[in-house]
Amino acid sequence: MSAKEKIISAIKQNKPGAKELPVIPVFNAEENTIETFKQSVKTIGGEVIELASLAEIDVWLEKKFSTAENIVSAIVSSSVTISESSSTELLEKTDVAILQGEWGVAENGAIWLPEQNMLNRALPFITQHLMLVLNIENIVTNMHVAYENISSGAYGVFIAGPSKTADIEQSLVIGAHGARSLTVVLLKRAC
Amino acid sequence: MSHSKKASIFNKDIERTTWHDETLWFVRQKRDKMAYVIPEFQQLRDLASQIKEHTLSQLDEYLLEFERNALKNGVHVHWAADAKEHNEIVLKILKKHKAKKIVKSKSMLTEECHLNPFLQQHAIKVVDTDLGERIIQLRDEAPSHIVLPAIHLKKEDVGETFHQHLNTPKGEKDPQRLTEAARQHLREKFVQADAALTGVNFAIAETGSVVVCTNEGNADLGVNLAKVHIACMGFEKIIPRFNDLSVFTRLLARSATGQPITTYTSHFTKPRPGAEMHVVIVDNGRTQQLGREDFYNSLKCIRCGACMNTCPVYRRSGGHSYNFTVPGPIGSILSPNLDLKKHSSLPFASTLCGSCTEVCPVKIDIHVQLYKWRQQIGESNALPMSKKLSMKVMSKVLASSKLFSFSGKMGRTMIKWLPYSMTHNKSVNPWAKARELPEVPEHSFREWYKQNK
Repeated sequence: MSAKEKIISAIKQNKPGAKELPVIPVFNAEENTIETFKQSVKTIGGEVIELASLAEIDVWLEKKFSTAENIVSAIVSSSVTISESSSTELLEKTDVAILQGEWGVAENGAIWLPEQNMLNRALPFITQHLMLVLNIENIVTNMHVAYENISSGAYGVFIAGPSKTADIEQSLVIGAHGARSLTVVLLKRAC
Repeated sequence: MSHSKKASIFNKDIERTTWHDETLWFVRQKRDKMAYVIPEFQQLRDLASQIKEHTLSQLDEYLLEFERNALKNGVHVHWAADAKEHNEIVLKILKKHKAKKIVKSKSMLTEECHLNPFLQQHAIKVVDTDLGERIIQLRDEAPSHIVLPAIHLKKEDVGETFHQHLNTPKGEKDPQRLTEAARQHLREKFVQADAALTGVNFAIAETGSVVVCTNEGNADLGVNLAKVHIACMGFEKIIPRFNDLSVFTRLLARSATGQPITTYTSHFTKPRPGAEMHVVIVDNGRTQQLGREDFYNSLKCIRCGACMNTCPVYRRSGGHSYNFTVPGPIGSILSPNLDLKKHSSLPFASTLCGSCTEVCPVKIDIHVQLYKWRQQIGESNALPMSKKLSMKVMSKVLASSKLFSFSGKMGRTMIKWLPYSMTHNKSVNPWAKARELPEVPEHSFREWYKQNK
């Protein structure tokens, strides 16, 4: 008997009696979702900037990352071209990656980043600094609404703040293996 | 060695024990703050528990559904009846790819299977990439907590370890600088790795995906740079629907570390072009636990560690005193399933206060199961002689009212007249190790009642 057959037959024999799968209710949406989202991002160590359009990002980049040499992006002008086939050596040199986030979650500051928006799966993690652009109308209250809106795709990640660790004496350190900073660029509604 | 013996070794360093106790209690308090801002938190716990109960009741079907969907996604699925099979499967995959350097993100399952030493015997270098895990790997120690693997260490210890292995300056103990040193050191390993191993927090039957939660980003960095991803999971990690993740992602980090969510919640469904993804589904005693009416729902556990952070015994005895991959209250109800005799002291490492049950995000009745394991250990004659004898004596005394009154009287007299060094002698009366005995009353209640009725 294969391991699979052994396991499945043992489970059949031993499993407890049938229990129902609950329906997950829609939990009430809270008010002022955008403010809550901004607060959540700050709490988890991220920064929020609000821009009227993506064109304004250059000024901001100049101010914040003036020394950055390699800025990689699929949505604003890029100094390096990165694709799924880019070498690790090239990826490693990324100073700032600017990528489009799909959904922001108010209750925890997480942003859904599907593979299609990453240029390369390793980019959001190997870059020294990460900027996620988010349309303000794509902020939802909680994880239930977020999961209603997304599908698994091939690969996708909720990113909540910069990479962090507290493994040494529970002291919080920002910048473990992934991005040392996370900036959320909120794009206001076009009027 | 029993839990209490190992705990007494940990307790020798009073300052460290106090620090450990307070630090974990602080994590518990962070959990409370994060949990109770969600008005429906208790409802979420109910939902999580019901989803898991349901899944366990149809586990065979969900595992097969997961396999079908994962295969459709181009993922290789393997089944392992025990630790040995698991390790051999992993080795075979690595050999096929001639992989010699492996990066691994946190996986309690591979700890349980002792994968690292096994691979090292076969000349494969495994580097644990979670900072806490890397620290203890360099020190050749086991994790003392499932979420905070190096919580038993002080920054001075880490500084010394990094000085020896990563050439940080002698005496460096700043967590920021030590973490930076580890970042540089591990970047090299990530870039060179032939394969990446991860654990699994949730496996979704409906989509065939596995979800991994980290704060450091080490799982994603490893997987997305290497040619091969091997995800190892105990079969209880399965959940039915993609949407069920909404319940669990709201509970996991809040319960574990008091964060609203982990920094990275990564959904791996299909390998990238040119890369391979494998999932190894492991039993290793789980089917047996599933068949135990009183204990099967311990398999609902999502490994958040909240029961450890809150446990007054764990906090003061340290994870290593449990001598099992998963320490603390949950480990004490999982371990007797595998080896009742070896782990027979663990269900007694509890005051049965029930705090673990109160904080468990999937509502496992941990303290009730601790109590039930005690019964089974008693029945199977696995109690140590000292406990067996004292139980026998106590049951005689408590069964006879005459004997009970007499012993009470004896006790009151003895405590009054015997010298302190005798009544508080640690081997005669271990209860008095860190406590004073109460003042002795003149009479028992029965004597008092006779006089005053």
